[in-house]
Amino acid sequence: MKLNLTSKTILIIEDYPVMRKAMKGILHTLGAHAIVEAEDGITAINAMKQQNFDIVLCDYNLGEGKNGQQILEEARYKKLISFNSLFIIVTAHQNARFVLSTIENKPDEYLAKPFNAQQLLMRLEKCYARKQILYVVEREIEQGNLARAIHFCDQLIDQNNKAFRSQLLKIRADLAIKTGDFDKATSIYQEVLTQREISWARLGTGIVAFFQSEHEQAITIFQELIAQNPMLMECYDWLADSYQAIGHNSDAEETLNQATEISPHSFFRQKKLALLAARLEHLDIAEKAYKAVSNLGKYSTHQSPSDFSGFAKVYSKNNKKMEALQTLNSMQQHFPNNQEAELRAAALETEIYQKMEDSKLSEQAFEKVQNLHHQLKDRLPKDLQLDIAKACYLNNDIETADKIIISLVHNHIDDNTVMDNIRHMQSSIGRENSSEALIQRIRQELININNQGVKFFQQGLIKEAFAVFKQAAEKMPHNKTIILNMAKITIHDLKSSGINKENLLLAHQYLKRAKQVGVAQDKIGNLQLQFENITNPQTS
Amino acid sequence: MSHTPLNNIKFTEVLASSVHDIKNSLATVRELITQLSAKQQFNENKDLIQLEFETNRMNNSLVQLLELYKIDSAKFSLDIDDYSVLDIFQEVKAQQTPLLQLNKIKLTIECPENCYCYCDYNHICNALGSILNNAQRYTNTQISLSSYQDHGFIVFCIEDDGTGYPDQLLSIDLNNIPSNWISGSTGLGLHFVSTIATLHTARNTTGYIKIDNNSALGGARFRLFLP
Repeated sequence: MKLNLTSKTILIIEDYPVMRKAMKGILHTLGAHAIVEAEDGITAINAMKQQNFDIVLCDYNLGEGKNGQQILEEARYKKLISFNSLFIIVTAHQNARFVLSTIENKPDEYLAKPFNAQQLLMRLEKCYARKQILYVVEREIEQGNLARAIHFCDQLIDQNNKAFRSQLLKIRADLAIKTGDFDKATSIYQEVLTQREISWARLGTGIVAFFQSEHEQAITIFQELIAQNPMLMECYDWLADSYQAIGHNSDAEETLNQATEISPHSFFRQKKLALLAARLEHLDIAEKAYKAVSNLGKYSTHQSPSDFSGFAKVYSKNNKKMEALQTLNSMQQHFPNNQEAELRAAALETEIYQKMEDSKLSEQAFEKVQNLHHQLKDRLPKDLQLDIAKACYLNNDIETADKIIISLVHNHIDDNTVMDNIRHMQSSIGRENSSEALIQRIRQELININNQGVKFFQQGLIKEAFAVFKQAAEKMPHNKTIILNMAKITIHDLKSSGINKENLLLAHQYLKRAKQVGVAQDKIGNLQLQFENITNPQTS
Repeated sequence: MSHTPLNNIKFTEVLASSVHDIKNSLATVRELITQLSAKQQFNENKDLIQLEFETNRMNNSLVQLLELYKIDSAKFSLDIDDYSVLDIFQEVKAQQTPLLQLNKIKLTIECPENCYCYCDYNHICNALGSILNNAQRYTNTQISLSSYQDHGFIVFCIEDDGTGYPDQLLSIDLNNIPSNWISGSTGLGLHFVSTIATLHTARNTTGYIKIDNNSALGGARFRLFLP
């Protein structure tokens, strides 16, 4: 394939003028003339708002401001680059695919510096060839049509195109994991591994073990893989998740600490470390990680008010009251006219002012908490609800605090982290074990509901089973187990008693709801696949 | 004069980050050379050709130094996958094309299209690139890149029609190159490629390199064996 660049629009993002000129010169010799240059993230994003680029060549390290990865994230988030465009990150790393790789928002290619015109041309040709082949699969994945993606992927694998075989197998195994088809994923990984020790396949076997709750086995796989490939950053994230899954939080913290030392630029990894260290009360580690979160967050589309309030809490615990107040202040500057941010600030301010023995300011802050809480009630993230409950306890509004806790326990009883956070908060203000009885009771209640529902279901009493969960959902509208079961029942009903509009709509709603409340992808994926096969039978 | 300790900073770290800095400066220098030569009749100016060649060599050496530092301090992973050997050769050729044109050297690639190899693409391309760069220095008119299979190994072969490797170099153990040889660019290049080769393993076999003067073209022959 000979690539012609004359008709392509190209954006160069590079902070250093000499190198920008160099890249432009290279592109000129390849016949390109529609070239736009940008020196930083802001200029680049503006340029992408003005026009669509076929090719974006973006340096990773751009000094102050956004780095290349963050520009890619924002561009994808704001849909500024089309699916046919190439986004290439230019870096000094020889194995950037390992070091800089993120789970989401991967660029089309990493290109190691320096490169000449021939090398660039070759790489672009390869990218386009790849796009041409994989386009159909990647498009369906992006649109969430997993059944169609699998269908096209299998077709391509059958064509036995050696040049893309490895990439196709990797995508197919990823799709299998996403849809909970662990046997298929395992068979692909094993097939690859019998040929050669390939890190993505080995990593995959660990991920399968993780999702099948074989956490010890997953940990062994990830540890061995890291020993062989210390730069494989994704593996550290999975190892930390596995440790956390079996409650080995210190090991998880240590793993993330190691990973952030090797590759400090991942916002999510730093955030995970900050949250974990804060829970373990390792305040110095938490402070350091939150500092990184706040620096990386400045230029990230992922930044949220909770990053600031989390940081402020760590400062406050560490007795750095002024820093805590300043952090809350900068949260409100970053998120102006944002009621959630105001509420987060007020909920922590009342506590901090109490510590400073300024009862007047503390009461003022609490009044604000009450007002905003009244207005926003049902739309609050769970960590903020917990902050509000704490503020209420500290201001002797026990009734409101208890109400919040009861609702949190009902809705998140199957989420151990939330229960631990409730216990932890309560013991921090001298209310040890005050929710233990409640937690045990609700846990039993959920088990009973589940047993009853499943029993009806197995007896073929679909309507009765559905009614059990529906009734429970009124009490626990955010409970993952219940919503997942309702989705399962409606889809089963669709399959067994035929399609009708009402049930289709219902199934669609419950799948959407399951995603909203945060049911894990591997649990929804299979249902989604069944649903797609009902609505689109030709691909199955 | 008193002895100043380097506090908590290890000297190797200082060295590595300085090499990194120098490499960045060198990139600027190379670009300026390109811009300068665009203004002149580049092909006529022998000094500029020499300058281009030397800076390319310096860049290769610095990349190798940095990678060797990473291997040494366990900050290194191979990214192994299944790659087309022809693609690798074409990338290596592309890397060296400007110089090959300047030196008017004829480069041929002989490799079946369906030949695949498990390796780290970037590192193998860099390694072969530095060997090719060196070959240009010592060849007369042509260099050939070829590949074949041998007892479960994929062999990457670089041959030239120059005077061949000197006897002293042929007599040393490539997996244990003496430090006085490493100081020359040929030595560093071979040490680097040999290191990268040995990191490529499969079951009980390990990659290795061989050099001799049995080139079909009459000069030096370099071979990289990957399992």
